Amino acid sequence: MISVHVREALTVFRANRVRTALTTMSLAVGVATVIAIQTMGAGLSGAMGGVLGGLSDNSFIVVPNTQQSNFLRASLRVRDLAVMMRTLPNIAAAAPTGAISRLVEVDHHRLRLAITSDGDQRFFTTPIAVGRSFTADDVNAAAHVALLTSKTAQRLFADGPAVGRSIRIGVHRYVVIGVAAPAKTGMAPNVIVGDVTIPWSTYEREFIADGRIFAARFVVADTRLTAQTESAVLEALRIRKGERVEYRTFDRQGAARTIDGIYGAQTLVVGMIGALSLVVAGVGILNIMLVSVAERTREVGIRRAIGATRMQILAQFFTEALLLAAFGCAIGLVVGLGIGALVNTFALVLISGVSAPIPWLQAVVLAGAFATVLALLFGTFPAYCATRVDPIEALRHD
Amino acid sequence: MTERNLIVLADVSKTYRNATLEVPALRGISLTIARGEYVAIMGPSGSGKSTLMHLLGCLDRPTSGSFTLDGIDVARLDDTELSKIRLRKLGFIFQGFNLLAHMDAVSNVELPLLYAGISKAQRTAAALERLREVGLAERVGHKPSELSGGQQQRVAIARALVNNPAILLADEPTGNLDSQTSIEILDLFSKLHSAGRTILLVTHDDEVARHASRIIRLRDGLVVADDKVEPLLADAQPSGASTRRMR
Repeated sequence: MISVHVREALTVFRANRVRTALTTMSLAVGVATVIAIQTMGAGLSGAMGGVLGGLSDNSFIVVPNTQQSNFLRASLRVRDLAVMMRTLPNIAAAAPTGAISRLVEVDHHRLRLAITSDGDQRFFTTPIAVGRSFTADDVNAAAHVALLTSKTAQRLFADGPAVGRSIRIGVHRYVVIGVAAPAKTGMAPNVIVGDVTIPWSTYEREFIADGRIFAARFVVADTRLTAQTESAVLEALRIRKGERVEYRTFDRQGAARTIDGIYGAQTLVVGMIGALSLVVAGVGILNIMLVSVAERTREVGIRRAIGATRMQILAQFFTEALLLAAFGCAIGLVVGLGIGALVNTFALVLISGVSAPIPWLQAVVLAGAFATVLALLFGTFPAYCATRVDPIEALRHD
Repeated sequence: MTERNLIVLADVSKTYRNATLEVPALRGISLTIARGEYVAIMGPSGSGKSTLMHLLGCLDRPTSGSFTLDGIDVARLDDTELSKIRLRKLGFIFQGFNLLAHMDAVSNVELPLLYAGISKAQRTAAALERLREVGLAERVGHKPSELSGGQQQRVAIARALVNNPAILLADEPTGNLDSQTSIEILDLFSKLHSAGRTILLVTHDDEVARHASRIIRLRDGLVVADDKVEPLLADAQPSGASTRRMR
């Protein structure tokens, strides 16, 4: 029975090609909008890892606010970190962070590079491509070892592998123990992404003469409590430094939330436009179905006289509306996924370096839901009208 | 225990109402039609023959009185049950053929079987058989627009027969046909009658009514005459008789 209704509906569509195409198109535009947004959203949240430039999940940075009158009083010191470590819960490690510009010498070749620090529990998640990362021993001993970014390794050692070679910074020689993989383009503050990374203990001893540090980074034991730990640190700093000091914190979750917030608002607006266009398309279905029923009053009369029940007439016209909605949604699905995939591949990847998978299943389910809801909302009334056709009246006028 | 009487109307009346007016269309009709009869219902415009046809066709319900069709009291059935009665017991043939334009002949004939829930293979087989019976075996794939009026009416007759109904109801079946084609269609009715079919034919044309075995005349919503007649076989119709047809 259903297959017959489907075949009859297809016959009707074929007989009214232009009308069917226009209705389908208006529906497809609405669905494509919504699906494209959804696909881009998935792309963006997938790309977040890249956008956030490889900040590890379990740490946050505290930076004194530069625009405050008592900036000097607020500045962080190495000994502050030790106190935080001792007195606050959920802090696994606290280390100075920052970058400093130094001449780096290899053989007789000198380059001015940014030196930064990291620990054995790494802050930056860019994987080490060659060699190894820091160990706890390196940190405890404040060893003279260094990690290079891939670009730095190329600039310093164009002739061969970097690992195992040594570089000179100031008076000390550092052994290169590892080279990081090419970094994804990130938005983590540039100042803390250096060309050369050394253990933070070494950095503290060699480059922080006055004990004053640019920023501190904290590694938390339990990532679920990151927010609480951040506020505990800020509170403790305020008590230590006096009331009117200001700090900013920066962590992956917070940054992700900010981006999510911006994107969420955008999604809401564009989603509403999409939803609105879906309603417009739905009214289009309603309109065209009412026309279809009015044109076929006689046909309905014949079918009823032959013995079709009201339910059978309802099913026929409802199938027609459902198919119309399904066509529109299917086309919208393909176009929407296409747009979303294009934006993801050609725009988001450039920002983040990460290409997110297309959410096929979600999109298909969403489009299917649209088709069903639209057919139910806008196909039921015309189908009901068809069931109210009086066969005597319908057959009377030739 | 099949009843001999297929249709029993007892004091059936039908009154159409609108806001201000009551129009009696049938004013107490009692009649019995037996299996295998070929009945012509005649009467001028406004005599109530269309209303009677609608009642007998289960498209409408009487205002009062009882109507038993093949042992079923249909006066009190709801819409869905009436649809099923139309599907199983009745075969309609209209003046305007009323075929579905976008379907070919065989699909049109299949339609009632479709609503009866018969499988595709069985539907097609039965429809082809009926089309062969009405002499259209070689035109089954044609759309109504590709068929002549007579051929369209044959398709409609095949459609009316396909569910093997108890009664064929024909409303001015030759009204849109030329005289030669009318004779062919009436000939087909006579053959169906000879094969045992019960046929009810509404017409205002005496020449058409003469093919029936019984003529019921209506006037002002009442039966004014009910005569058994010797049916005229279509083959034996005197030449020139059809020129008296009113359309």
